[in-house]
Amino acid sequence: MEHVEVQIKEEKYQITEGNKKWAFGLMIVGLILAVIGYFTYHPHIEGLSEHDLHHLSMKRLLSNLLVNGYFFFIISICAVAFIAISQLANAGWYVAIRRIPEAMSEYTLIGGPILLLIIILGLPVLYHWAHDGIMTEGSSNFDEILASKSWYLNKSFFYVRLILFMSFWIFSAFLIRKFSRNEDQIGGLTSFNKTYALSAAFTVIFGFTFSMFSWDVMMSIDAHWYSTIFSVYNFATGWVSALTIMSLFTFYLRGKGYLNIVTDEHQHDLGKFMFAFSVFWTYMWVAQFLLIWYANIPEEVAYYKERLFGSYKFYFYFVVCINFLIPFFFFMSRDNKRSRTVGVFVGACLLIGHWMDVYLMVMPGAMNLATDPSDAYPAGIIKVPAQGFGMMEIGFACLFAGLFLWMTLKALTKANLYPTKHPYVMESALHDVGI
Amino acid sequence: MSTNIRTKLLRKEPFMETDKLLILGVYDNPDKTYAVTKKLIAGGYKVYDVYSPFAIHGIDRVMGIKRTRLSVAAFGFGLTGIASALTFMIYASYFDWQVNVGGKPSLHIPTYIPITFELGILFTALGMVACFFIVNRMFWGKNADIMDLRVTDDLFVVAVDVKKGKGDQRALNQLLIDNGAIEVRERIKEV
Repeated sequence: MEHVEVQIKEEKYQITEGNKKWAFGLMIVGLILAVIGYFTYHPHIEGLSEHDLHHLSMKRLLSNLLVNGYFFFIISICAVAFIAISQLANAGWYVAIRRIPEAMSEYTLIGGPILLLIIILGLPVLYHWAHDGIMTEGSSNFDEILASKSWYLNKSFFYVRLILFMSFWIFSAFLIRKFSRNEDQIGGLTSFNKTYALSAAFTVIFGFTFSMFSWDVMMSIDAHWYSTIFSVYNFATGWVSALTIMSLFTFYLRGKGYLNIVTDEHQHDLGKFMFAFSVFWTYMWVAQFLLIWYANIPEEVAYYKERLFGSYKFYFYFVVCINFLIPFFFFMSRDNKRSRTVGVFVGACLLIGHWMDVYLMVMPGAMNLATDPSDAYPAGIIKVPAQGFGMMEIGFACLFAGLFLWMTLKALTKANLYPTKHPYVMESALHDVGI
Repeated sequence: MSTNIRTKLLRKEPFMETDKLLILGVYDNPDKTYAVTKKLIAGGYKVYDVYSPFAIHGIDRVMGIKRTRLSVAAFGFGLTGIASALTFMIYASYFDWQVNVGGKPSLHIPTYIPITFELGILFTALGMVACFFIVNRMFWGKNADIMDLRVTDDLFVVAVDVKKGKGDQRALNQLLIDNGAIEVRERIKEV
């Protein structure tokens, strides 16, 4: 085109000393904090035996692992979904930043097995339905309601589902990356068409499998409770966080002088996405909460009782404020969406907020102790109040954040920073949202 | 095309003081349109508007179009919607006539959220459409004022206001033709 002054350059990211320091520093500091946190955690709760209290520290350790393993895994898998959906929609604008979600998807290679390992370790500890004897009639802790769900919630089917879904996602992510990197070598439309076909299959299958995945990993922690909008709500969490991380990486790389074709226009579109899906997340949040609150059915309300009136009250309100009010008011104006300062601030808030959201999904249910149903504990659960937000939480979050950062930065070096031979790369370079 | 203008041209009626005299350069290529617009602005001419069958990216910046205030209006409409929804529901379900629904409190903001949300959107959407019509002076029965019918198909028109800005018509014609105009015409636009 005549009036164009952009140049498509082959850029390669170089990992700096600072990157290494940050990524490994986070990992090491996180690990140290987590270990200190684990050994200094001595809960004192009246009416619990020494054995139960010891069990509690193991529970807290594994719950933290699950929170982080799940949070970062759904981010990286939603990054794949972002590529697939953009590809299906024939989107042009995202091509300039496409390598960032691709790099984020590389975390699935390590994050998937880690999450699986955490679930294998945590299954007998965190998941009430997985306790021995809970579904066998005649045993002391027999639970009739859970037993009626045993056709779905049984260990073998659970693992089969989990391994099947995760391997499909990880393999799709691998193929999408492979096609995209091949494209840099050979050009042409072959890779584009292949990615298109793969994206179509992935998007459909991902929709269904992600639903079941979120029921399995998150919702089955409170096995008595169910919410039909839960999977959409989880998807919104992962999707917003993935967009936020993409936006933050774009800011970072542009600040370093990379990504010469990315302009404020792309940043603006990412900002719009973040704004819109924060509102979407809140919509899902309200939809789940309001119906349960209105209907007031005991087994549904139990989930919110400990969050809304119990010891998790602060986190509950904190999550709504930080995930809705901050992006809503700070990101409403056009100038703010294009501003680096506001973008980084809102991005950081959203990441903290959505991490906290996953924390709030896991903790209250996973920290409860299982016991034999009796008059005192009719559901067979001893409620454990919130154990505070300590070094273990911060430590594990840092550890996983460092790992995620390192995997993503390392993946960024493996290919050009934007696909130079993608059919839409010029369209993306000229992307303009107007005045 | 507006019949008034055609009759005016045919009858050779005198120009009114308020009428605009526009020189139209007709182009068959968006890049040429973009380039000539840039040159016209740089040359001191007043570009009245550019007509195109589709959006030409970046031309709004070149023409120096000011940012729309529609978003500000939208925010105002949204607030109006939210305020009216909340006011009505609080009045109806708390002050005027309390109804006991399953023992729920009568004044409980979360229950009002869905309707507040919907009314906020409704007011914003309708208000923005109304605003758009008013700002663009559109109403029922108004004839579309199209510079050249072919801009609805495959051609592009750059309209230069020669009463404002630089008024050298001979140089302007040459500039338009040199930059690839397939046709240069004159037309009067009543205001």
